[in-house]
Amino acid sequence: MIQKITLITTLAVSALFAQVKDDIAVPYIPYEIKMGKGFDAVQANCLMCHSFGYIINQGPQSKEFWVKKTEKMVVHFKAPISQEDQDKINDYLYKYYGNGELK
Amino acid sequence: MQRRDFLKASIAASAAIIGTSASAGVTTQPIDNREVSKIAFPEKKPLITYSDRPPLLESPRSVFTQAITPNDEFFVRWHLPEIPTHIDPNTYTIKIDGLVNQELNITLNDLKNNFEQVEVVAVLQCGGNSRSAFNPTPGGVQWGSGAMGCAKWKGVRLSDLLNQAGLKKEAHWIGFNGQDTAAYYETPNFVRELEIEELDDHVIVAYEMNGEDLPYLNGYPLRLVIPGYYSDSWVKMLSHITVTDKYKSLFFMDIAYRVPNNETESETPEEKFPTTKPITVMNVKSVIGYPLNGTTVYLNSHVVIRGVAFDDGHGIKDVLISVDDGQTWEKAELDNKAGRYAFKTFRFAYKPSTYGKINIMAKAVNRLGKEQPFAKDVLWNHGGYKYNGIDVVQIHVI
Repeated sequence: MIQKITLITTLAVSALFAQVKDDIAVPYIPYEIKMGKGFDAVQANCLMCHSFGYIINQGPQSKEFWVKKTEKMVVHFKAPISQEDQDKINDYLYKYYGNGELK
Repeated sequence: MQRRDFLKASIAASAAIIGTSASAGVTTQPIDNREVSKIAFPEKKPLITYSDRPPLLESPRSVFTQAITPNDEFFVRWHLPEIPTHIDPNTYTIKIDGLVNQELNITLNDLKNNFEQVEVVAVLQCGGNSRSAFNPTPGGVQWGSGAMGCAKWKGVRLSDLLNQAGLKKEAHWIGFNGQDTAAYYETPNFVRELEIEELDDHVIVAYEMNGEDLPYLNGYPLRLVIPGYYSDSWVKMLSHITVTDKYKSLFFMDIAYRVPNNETESETPEEKFPTTKPITVMNVKSVIGYPLNGTTVYLNSHVVIRGVAFDDGHGIKDVLISVDDGQTWEKAELDNKAGRYAFKTFRFAYKPSTYGKINIMAKAVNRLGKEQPFAKDVLWNHGGYKYNGIDVVQIHVI
């Protein structure tokens, strides 16, 4: 009788098992990013939300593209990036990840 | 004049002086053969890795010889950087509220035991898959062709959940939110809204993928599955469904994942089309899984060309193969057991009879007669969405 009760109890509280034990850990990937003037502003602002990989994998882009991208981060994603830092970031991105076109 | 305005003005002025090359957008084959990373993500084999935070992983081309994409090779795309790294399946609930008769908090156990369990095999594809085909380069992840996969999803019908809650008659929009969050509180959540008319009985809330729990990076423990639709609406780690009468203005609805609102869904880089519409359903597409670009084969050897084809659920009628740069086409063998939303695998017996470089092309045609255009004929759009050009791999015959 005791055994039977135990069995029923076990069924009633039968736990769902995740196939992953404990926490998952998303690995850090050291993306190689170019060093240069303005990099400090990139490191201080952009990395808060996303990896360098997300930047360098956008492909080479125009000045206008990078200006709008930074603007999007501020306007839509509410990143608190000062205008001064935005300018530094845009100059850096255009110099090192630009396509040579202003527009 | 504000500094920013000055900057804009000076850019415009410089452009006027230099004179921009007034070219329409050009489309080519997407970038191929990017190397997989040396580092594997949780529950994944090493994949092509664009970003670790948020994780952006692409499946290599060789995966696409299979009707079902294995969970550990399935692509990953998140929008916000913070993903829960621990979820307790015993306490996880999904909340349904808003314009319903009864608010519900449904546990995973409830879902698995108190609703009809259903399965669907369906393709999940990012709207920006193959974006690297477009020039000038649209912003966004420069995907090759591997931001897609096909899985057997198991779960419960969304309509059964909504019926249990009971929709009020003003109900018109359903919003879906997951557990991923941004670094700043002010950043908008990745909420999606769908009109009730868009939802049918094929839409499910899935907890299983190919017979296993969903991998964390594919949305454990629950995600929305909307067969035929691009993946932007397949919300991961789904935890909240809200029913409303009015559409809320949302960044990920209003700005991202939209194409020009004209018949060809196209525009030029110089003259963007003024209005846009959501990308919604998928167009006809096929991808060759074997051979790969650069594969070397012997003259008169037996090569089996394999790949997958799909559309939004109308169904693939034919996949045509060309080995003479598109001059002549022959039908490939199709797997006729595949469901309408699934990858349809194709295979084609090919015996190379000339030396040198040969371009192998695959073109899918669906039951409506819609077929893939050549890459050069895919029209440009600013977001780089919905590329579906005829796939080409070049092999060497020696």
